[in-house]
Amino acid sequence: MSTAIKIRDINKSYGSLQALADINLDIKKGEFFGLLGPNGAGKSTLIGILGGLVKKDSGSVTVLGKDIIKNYRETKKSLGIVPQEITFDPYFTVRETLEIHSGYFGIKDNDEKIDELLEALSLTDKSEIGPRQLSGGMKRRLLIAKALVHDPEIIVLDEPTAGVDVELRNSLWEYVISLNEEGKTIILTTHYLEEAEALCDRIAIMNKGKIVKVDTKENLINSIDKKLIKIQFAEAAHGLDEELLEIDFNLKNNKREIEIETARQDLDKILKKINDLNLEIVDIDIESAKLEDVFIKLTNLGGDDN
Amino acid sequence: MTINSITFLSLVRREVARFTKVAIQTIFAPLISTGLYLIIFSYSFQNREVAGYGVPYISFIVPGLIMMSLIQNSFANTSSSLIGAKYNGIIIDFLLAPFSYIELSLGFMIGGMVRGLLVGTVTYLVSIYFYGGAIAHPLLALFFAVLVSSIFSLFGIIAGLWAEKFDHVSIFSNFFITPLTFLSGVFYSVKGLPGIWSEVSLFNPVFYMVDAVRFAFIGQSDISPYFSALIISSLAVFLLVVVTYLFKIGYKVKS
Repeated sequence: MSTAIKIRDINKSYGSLQALADINLDIKKGEFFGLLGPNGAGKSTLIGILGGLVKKDSGSVTVLGKDIIKNYRETKKSLGIVPQEITFDPYFTVRETLEIHSGYFGIKDNDEKIDELLEALSLTDKSEIGPRQLSGGMKRRLLIAKALVHDPEIIVLDEPTAGVDVELRNSLWEYVISLNEEGKTIILTTHYLEEAEALCDRIAIMNKGKIVKVDTKENLINSIDKKLIKIQFAEAAHGLDEELLEIDFNLKNNKREIEIETARQDLDKILKKINDLNLEIVDIDIESAKLEDVFIKLTNLGGDDN
Repeated sequence: MTINSITFLSLVRREVARFTKVAIQTIFAPLISTGLYLIIFSYSFQNREVAGYGVPYISFIVPGLIMMSLIQNSFANTSSSLIGAKYNGIIIDFLLAPFSYIELSLGFMIGGMVRGLLVGTVTYLVSIYFYGGAIAHPLLALFFAVLVSSIFSLFGIIAGLWAEKFDHVSIFSNFFITPLTFLSGVFYSVKGLPGIWSEVSLFNPVFYMVDAVRFAFIGQSDISPYFSALIISSLAVFLLVVVTYLFKIGYKVKS
């Protein structure tokens, strides 16, 4: 798989605040890549550098092998960036906005693509009205349509579903997944970690201007050695307290339910002990760690400095 | 410094469509003030001639009034377009799109020129009722009008990029453009000014614009129209270079 975006030694400071420090990152062509991090981690600054909105202090970025400074016109044509902030041109209708935007990217008579986007983003019936009359979610979808109007090879979505209701969010993801399946590279930043977990192949986690981890979603999740066992018994599980003395657990519902958080290697030992009690088990569920756990661990959001 | 015709023309189209969508405010409103000048001066000074010119006062001031409309509207178009784009956040549309820096400069500039020339033309059409409409050198008038509108469109881009809020644009308007225009000889002949003021006026670039257009209209001017053409052309080229450089460095639009 060839490289879509190559970021090398990027640094960016705003006065004394170092927004990005020695960022190195490769994003492969056709990937669905997640860029996660808490507020102020530097995600939007990095995207801004990619799109030419922010001036980097040092380092280099190439898009499909072209330098974003030397060959900025070509790299901009390859990128479709959906910014985080909702912006709109109050003078033009939805359709006019997309026509003008097509023109900016050198495309004339782009009606077919515009109709496709309006349909995919559920804006067809709003095409002749001005953006002031659109709801927040519709304005965000217009932003997405603007970013896709020139059919870019790399699509960067900076918090694209903030303020978009669940139904439209799902239809938006279906459309983005179909674009990814066509071979488009997708880069996503989102606060909804379950979205990143469901969609992304690889994820970079940023914190305080640095990339703290880049790996496949599976590897990231497996890096957290945690299993959550939930067992429902037919009747109150007396005797468990004594049997599981050395284990952290939580009894619920008059001792009819137990939740145990444990490491993978202890799974077998715990299940055997429960089995030895000859309790009738109604239901059992074993959950693995979630991306959220990885995120909290790597960004220290849980407050643990170790 | 290449120009992609579709990309470039799309920006021009956007800039022209932006002001024509609010034509009452952008084209017809300026006519009211200029129309009032024409009415007041044509009736107040109908029997007066300007010393050394031998033409009715109204014929003398019409070229200046047309220039004034053209200057104010060219400037207003680009400055309001850019500060509006910054305010609405759509300035990023121009940064994310593959515009070359010269395309951005020329695209915004032509949008401003179209508005300036349109208002100037309508002002001229109205002025025909007051002075008859004769133009001694029509092509020269058009040439100067194009140059002057380009200068103030470019000046408007600088103001729009520099300004952080709408009030800042009015600083340019109130403290530079209006005084320079009113003191440029729109309403009087600079040659007739007392003492040093005649020489001081030569440092006002708007003087050369008004004087050159007056030559094109009535065939007479305070100084050589060729010298004025040189000054105006040089200023236009200089401002185009400055504006293109400002877009290149992302002056006040890139962080």
